[in-house]
Amino acid sequence: MKFSKSIIFNGLVALSIGLLSTGCEDVIQVDVIQKSPKIVVDAFVNNQLDTQTIKLTRSIGYFDSSGSEPAITNAQVAIIDQSSALPKLFVFQHSSQGKYQFVPNATSGDTFTVGHDYALLVVVDNDTLVSFSPLNPTTTIDSIRLVDVEGNGPPINTTGKYVELMANDRKGPGDFYWIKTFRNDSFLNSISQLNISADMGNTSRGQDGELFIYPVRYNGVNDFLRSFKTGENVRIEIHSINGLAFAWFNLVVSENQNGGLFATPPANIFTNITSLNPKKKTALGGFFCMSAVASASVKIP
Amino acid sequence: MSSSFVTPTSTFVTAMHRILIFLLFSTFNIVLAQNFTLSGYVKDSSSRETITKAQITVTITGVKYTPTELRSTTNGYGFYSLTVPAGKHTLIVTAPSYAPLATQLDITNNLEYNILLSPDVEGMGTVTIRSKRNNNVKSLDISTQNINGQTIKKIPAFLGEADVIKSIQLLPGVTTVGEGASGFNVRGGSIDQNLVLMDEAPVFNSAHLFGFFSIFNPDAVKDVELVKGGIPANYGGRLSSTLDVKSRDGNKRSYQTNGGIGSIFSRLTVEGPLALPESKNLLKPRKTPAKSSFMVSGRRSYIDVLAKPFLPDNLAGSQFYFYDLTAKANYSYKRDNIFISTYIGDDVFKAAGLFGVKWGNSTVTARWNHVFNKKLFSNFTYYYSRYRYNLEFMNRDVTFNWKSNIVNNSAKVDFNYFLNPKNTLAFGGQITHYRFIPGEAIAKSATLNLKFGLPDRYALENAVYISDDWNANGKFSIRAGIRLSQFMYLGPGKVYLFNREPGKQGILDSMYSTQNGDIVANYINPEPRLGFKYQLNSSSSIKGGFNRMVQNLHLISNTAASVPFDVWQPTTNNIKPEIADQIALGYFKNFNGKHEFETSIEGYYKTLQNQVDYIDGASLLLNELLEADLLTGIGRAYGLEAYIKKSSGNLTGWISYTLSRSERKVLGINNDEWYANRFDRLHNLYVVSQYKINEKWECAANFVFSTGTPATFYTGQYTVQGYVIPDAGSNARNNVRNPDYHRLDLSVTYHRKKSKKFESNWVFSCYNVYNRRNPFSIYFATNYQGKGQNEAIRYSVIGSAIPSVSYNFKF
Repeated sequence: MKFSKSIIFNGLVALSIGLLSTGCEDVIQVDVIQKSPKIVVDAFVNNQLDTQTIKLTRSIGYFDSSGSEPAITNAQVAIIDQSSALPKLFVFQHSSQGKYQFVPNATSGDTFTVGHDYALLVVVDNDTLVSFSPLNPTTTIDSIRLVDVEGNGPPINTTGKYVELMANDRKGPGDFYWIKTFRNDSFLNSISQLNISADMGNTSRGQDGELFIYPVRYNGVNDFLRSFKTGENVRIEIHSINGLAFAWFNLVVSENQNGGLFATPPANIFTNITSLNPKKKTALGGFFCMSAVASASVKIP
Repeated sequence: MSSSFVTPTSTFVTAMHRILIFLLFSTFNIVLAQNFTLSGYVKDSSSRETITKAQITVTITGVKYTPTELRSTTNGYGFYSLTVPAGKHTLIVTAPSYAPLATQLDITNNLEYNILLSPDVEGMGTVTIRSKRNNNVKSLDISTQNINGQTIKKIPAFLGEADVIKSIQLLPGVTTVGEGASGFNVRGGSIDQNLVLMDEAPVFNSAHLFGFFSIFNPDAVKDVELVKGGIPANYGGRLSSTLDVKSRDGNKRSYQTNGGIGSIFSRLTVEGPLALPESKNLLKPRKTPAKSSFMVSGRRSYIDVLAKPFLPDNLAGSQFYFYDLTAKANYSYKRDNIFISTYIGDDVFKAAGLFGVKWGNSTVTARWNHVFNKKLFSNFTYYYSRYRYNLEFMNRDVTFNWKSNIVNNSAKVDFNYFLNPKNTLAFGGQITHYRFIPGEAIAKSATLNLKFGLPDRYALENAVYISDDWNANGKFSIRAGIRLSQFMYLGPGKVYLFNREPGKQGILDSMYSTQNGDIVANYINPEPRLGFKYQLNSSSSIKGGFNRMVQNLHLISNTAASVPFDVWQPTTNNIKPEIADQIALGYFKNFNGKHEFETSIEGYYKTLQNQVDYIDGASLLLNELLEADLLTGIGRAYGLEAYIKKSSGNLTGWISYTLSRSERKVLGINNDEWYANRFDRLHNLYVVSQYKINEKWECAANFVFSTGTPATFYTGQYTVQGYVIPDAGSNARNNVRNPDYHRLDLSVTYHRKKSKKFESNWVFSCYNVYNRRNPFSIYFATNYQGKGQNEAIRYSVIGSAIPSVSYNFKF
């Protein structure tokens, strides 16, 4: 069962304070200074044959407009397959705006293999950055079920068609997934819809090997403010991740939803990217994760 | 009571017995032949309510004797005892809010002398007697504040409702994180470091409605004592302070009703003798006070009742209210007094179909006072105390219900032995059994009934103490005591062992189950306590104190404000007892001219060990491996408190100023450097004043200024996979200050013409008069309407001036 203490209690406080009619929130100007920008590595790579992208940027001030992060265009980026008999190098070439790309090739065998361990190498600013990730197997999707729902208040406000992901967690503990929903090929990427699972559920509580729990297979794959319309295409992908990535995503969610009366102190979100030269104390952010992908789609009738 | 409670196999209890027997039967009868004992109770002349902390001063005349002045203070049950030489002496009795009493006594024998005091009416008592007061200067207590029910009721309060904790928050050395925060912080300690006692039983959450009101009904409160330093040996279990709230006994002569109607809640208290009436007219006060009396006092909020017609359909059936009920009965017979008291209170919030939460304390206390002889007073207490909360979520088909409890049963015994003119001993012991239910959850739907949760935890806490107040020569006095505390973390349960690197999350190494009676961890800590007073002259003194305190219950909370469902956690094999050492030194001076002023200045320095903190992103709810997410560190707090109080004349009140600092150092947080605690405030100025215009009108004003609390701010941001990631890059904790807090409150009271049987008043008040938006916290959020722009949001719990009216009556 997943719930956020701060959300519930902000609701409660809003309710009680609202009745006392005096609580208030307003936007104010605060000066915060970013001491030194971080090098940010956004490296989520999967075993599909599409073009794979790794993005390098520098972090910006908290109140700068997001999306304006400066790109790093002069780096060298590669992934190494550590499990093959001879270490195999996949070189990512810079294309534009800090995007480094690699096109897999099934015929030449230049693909990422499930079960192998991979290392990321980035040479930038006279420093070498490394990170490691296994490429874990993912599960299979049985089907995407259509559900007609009458919206009658939170969380479902709109009457209409919704979907339910019919898929089982892989047998055995220690499987982690990132479930991505695409509506007409556009990824539903709001933070409230970040859908991750440790085995069957949001927390690994020994529930294993069966249908994902309701919040994962239903709440997490729908946008309850906008039901699906006839003719729309819904695609769901289950990306295998690892325990560290699961913890990282969890922290991203909790930091983004942290606020109000019962906010916890802002926490620094960790990274799995490290510098080979610790003396340089390069400030780093971002994450490297290899995934296998299961995918299914349905057209809304 | 579970069986582990009655199997104290430890040698500890045996040791306690030995000390008691030793003290009772050994060589303490060294009274000199010409000395006699004067003892008894001090009581209110009309209700026969006992008066605590009354000062009894005997001035020796006619015989040669040092010191020439002998003093005693009534204990928590109004009892005093003094050994005095034979002869004619002057006896002076004083107590706050009571007219002083002076009388001549001819002591020729041991004398049981009960004293009746009348409520203070201005002008009574001569200046000579007044100058004998100086209780604050002459008493051995340091860093101690007493407030009685009447004073609490005069302070302008939020929504016109007098409040115990809100009054405490205006005393030197006491701060709060802000409106909406439960509890209070004393001398740089966190809120769980205050031992809050209601008739001897601890309460674990002193707040109604997220701290807007406290759980104590001022109508039911006799007096409140806050001890911040030099804490006597009879108190233990928390690091920073003791807040001892005593309920009223109930009028022993006549039936009395008082109450109030306010904007948020209403109150009603009924009290009176429990005996066959003396005459047919029940309202006529009894000539002989009854042996027994009762008091029942209740409050309930009614916002929900008023709001019901305005609720939208989907919230119909919502509940939001709080209530509390305090009841007490007592019986006195010759040398015995029996008290039974109880408190029940709950807060209930339920948004129909979405979620619900309920929390509350309940306590039951039974006490038996016995006066063994004129010098030995005893009190035996049993109490039960429980704090619980329930959380409920409804998500269409699935209902999720979660509850958590902390239950404790305790037996204790306290003795006051008024040995001789120079020595007063206090000794006793306590045994407490705890059951912690950190979380029991049920998820239910048509097809599902899933029970899960965390295993219960059990603990046994024992203590023995002895303390002596030694008056060396009339000028120099010492209070020396020691408390020996033991905490045993018991089975049945699950024990977790972790591999730990300093400052990092623990990694589970192994775990095992324990059986009933197994002792998983056992901590014994001696806690020395010391206080001294040097009397410079009759109106000034220097006092000092040292105390070591040990705490074995930890409130696990990483939010800006404490929430009702923070979890209490015992000391375990992984969590060590918290320890604090404090030294305090103060100068006390009274000015007894035409206007009386009490002044004091105190400094303190405190060090703390094994303070609990959390790894970044720790998950505290339903986390079986919670202990892996906890970090421990050290703390320090220091400060200076200045206080001036005027308690006579038409203008009364006090000004208190505190300069303080409270910091912590924890491996793994803030790059291992010292950082300010969330409740750290450098300057705190409180002005409390009341002015009596005439018999009908009174007005009052409060002003509060405090330096802003520290907060942690994000400094940067970046994007990964389309998600904006806020970045607290430098790893700093509490690196920025919130703006300062200040506020003015005013109130006017109109007393309607009193009749013999009925009196009433109207209170008009305004909280936050000049409409300041004091930030409770500043937090950050991404404004998705504004294309993902991050914003800093000031959260003010009280965002405007709040006027209110309440009506109080008594008959």
